[in-house]
Amino acid sequence: MMRVLIADDESPARDKLHRWLSEQGDVEVVSRAEDGLQAAAAIERLRPDVAFLDIQMPGLNGLEVAAQLEQDTAPLIVFVTAFDEHAVKAFDLNAVDYLLKPYDKDRLLRSLTRVRDRLGNADLRASAVTTARGQTNSSERLLVPEGERLQLIDSSSIDWLEADDNYVHVHTANRVYMLRRTLQDLLAQLGEQRFVRIHKSAAVSISAISSFTPLFKGDYEVLLRSGRTLRLSRRYKDALFARMGR
Amino acid sequence: MAVATTAIPATDTHRSVAAVASPQRVLYVIWALFWLIMVMVAVTEEWKDASIRWWEPLLWEGSSCFVASVWMLLQRRTKQRYSQYLDQPLRWFGAHVRWLPLIIVTFIGSIYAIRHGVYALTAERYEHWPWLYVFIYEAFKVVLFTGLWLGIIFGFDSFDQWQAQRRHLLELQKTLAEAQLSQLKAQLRPHFFFNALNTISALMHVDVERADRLLARLGDLLRASLQSNDQELTSLREELRTLELFAQVMQERFADRVSLTWNIDPRTLDRKIPVMLLQPLLENAFKHGVERSVGHVGITVGASLEGKDLVVAIGNTGSTLAADYRDGVGLGNCRERLNVIYGGAAKLEMISHPKGVTANVTLPESAA
Repeated sequence: MMRVLIADDESPARDKLHRWLSEQGDVEVVSRAEDGLQAAAAIERLRPDVAFLDIQMPGLNGLEVAAQLEQDTAPLIVFVTAFDEHAVKAFDLNAVDYLLKPYDKDRLLRSLTRVRDRLGNADLRASAVTTARGQTNSSERLLVPEGERLQLIDSSSIDWLEADDNYVHVHTANRVYMLRRTLQDLLAQLGEQRFVRIHKSAAVSISAISSFTPLFKGDYEVLLRSGRTLRLSRRYKDALFARMGR
Repeated sequence: MAVATTAIPATDTHRSVAAVASPQRVLYVIWALFWLIMVMVAVTEEWKDASIRWWEPLLWEGSSCFVASVWMLLQRRTKQRYSQYLDQPLRWFGAHVRWLPLIIVTFIGSIYAIRHGVYALTAERYEHWPWLYVFIYEAFKVVLFTGLWLGIIFGFDSFDQWQAQRRHLLELQKTLAEAQLSQLKAQLRPHFFFNALNTISALMHVDVERADRLLARLGDLLRASLQSNDQELTSLREELRTLELFAQVMQERFADRVSLTWNIDPRTLDRKIPVMLLQPLLENAFKHGVERSVGHVGITVGASLEGKDLVVAIGNTGSTLAADYRDGVGLGNCRERLNVIYGGAAKLEMISHPKGVTANVTLPESAA
């Protein structure tokens, strides 16, 4: 069974897609989201295999939703759009699946055939997320869980990131958010300009660094403006100092 | 004149030429030339007469020129008062001729007072014909030259007014064309159009009647925007009809998220309103209220009379104006049109309140 999520802010559009997908024997529609935040939350919670994301949605648009997903675990995404020249060009370039409104059943079925072929291909799944990141300012904002809901925080408010098994703790001045992502993927989204690794399981925002103190064996201690101290492993020391211009 | 006439077709060139040679300035130059000739004629005429000193003809003509120029400047100062009669020449001339008796008396009185005064300063006597003869002779001259100059002034002012009207008309046509174009673009705006088509294709499977209705509305709307309309103003009734078509299409798409309320005072329906003024405002309400916010949105279209002014308010809940809010292209066009049509007597305000945003348009009873 292929578990599918539908996200569109227009109910007739949701109904149409739902109806045709339900007619397929191997498809189960697990969620119908009415805006971007709902879609992101449902993807996080239900982990569908495929997500049909309308691009023009209030709150968080379809591209922004995709940009906030983890590349390795993201569902296969099919973008649905009435008209978006730039995005469509980018999709074509990166072989990302999309449907143009209005579409007929043939068009949808062709798209589903492609989806079935691609389901097992992790690279193709990731390319939708990468393309979406390139089309949005996904490095500026991060979607984090806030109780039962999701919310966006400014990347500039993040001090450092701490990897912990399958999770990343996102430390801001007064909060810690827990994301089910890898540190590597998070850094890929937020951009290497702002954050820099200090050891295998931690990265720090360059603007949050206050000073360094040398320790034994070439390791350093990093003091953050918030007063917190972190360990800088010698493996990452040279790259960090080069970035800091020392 | 020839310079200005050739410059009319292109408004921009016209403006630059007008800055150099406005009709007013040309008029003053002709006035100066006229008096220069009068003085020169007088001087050359008396040249051979040894009994007349060189400054005497200068004084005679100079005093006339001075007093006549005062009257000329007075006329120029008050020309606005008479400009409304420019298309009724008899009334215009009549209104000026009423002043003639006063002009004659002050003109003759003043020039002879000046001349006697100056002669007295040189300890001489100004000798002239008997007063009755002088009065009749000078009065005849005043009537003749006043008539001549009224004719010239009338010509200049009419030309000026004609140019201004023409310019205004061109501006009106320009803003109307822009409004039509932007409305057409809005209707054919890919997002709107393809989304509406998709909604129809979705509805077809569950509610053929509703799909059919939406298709017809979309057709009406496209027809309405393709109709070339040369009228600058239309009745509010007509304008609301097109507005409703647009609203119906949008409402079919977002039936579950938007509710529309129409508060139209029936007395406003026959009032005149610039064609397609309101649609960009309603579009904004949908764009900012419905397409960008999650949850239910209420859109209100209201029309009422405030004194003699027509007030149209289009508001939406679910969004507020950003602190650094600036008019978009649509709103900017609306403002420019109001300015051209009503000359500053109309208002378009964006009002932010706790529940949302309202665009308020206030229109006076008639165009400028």
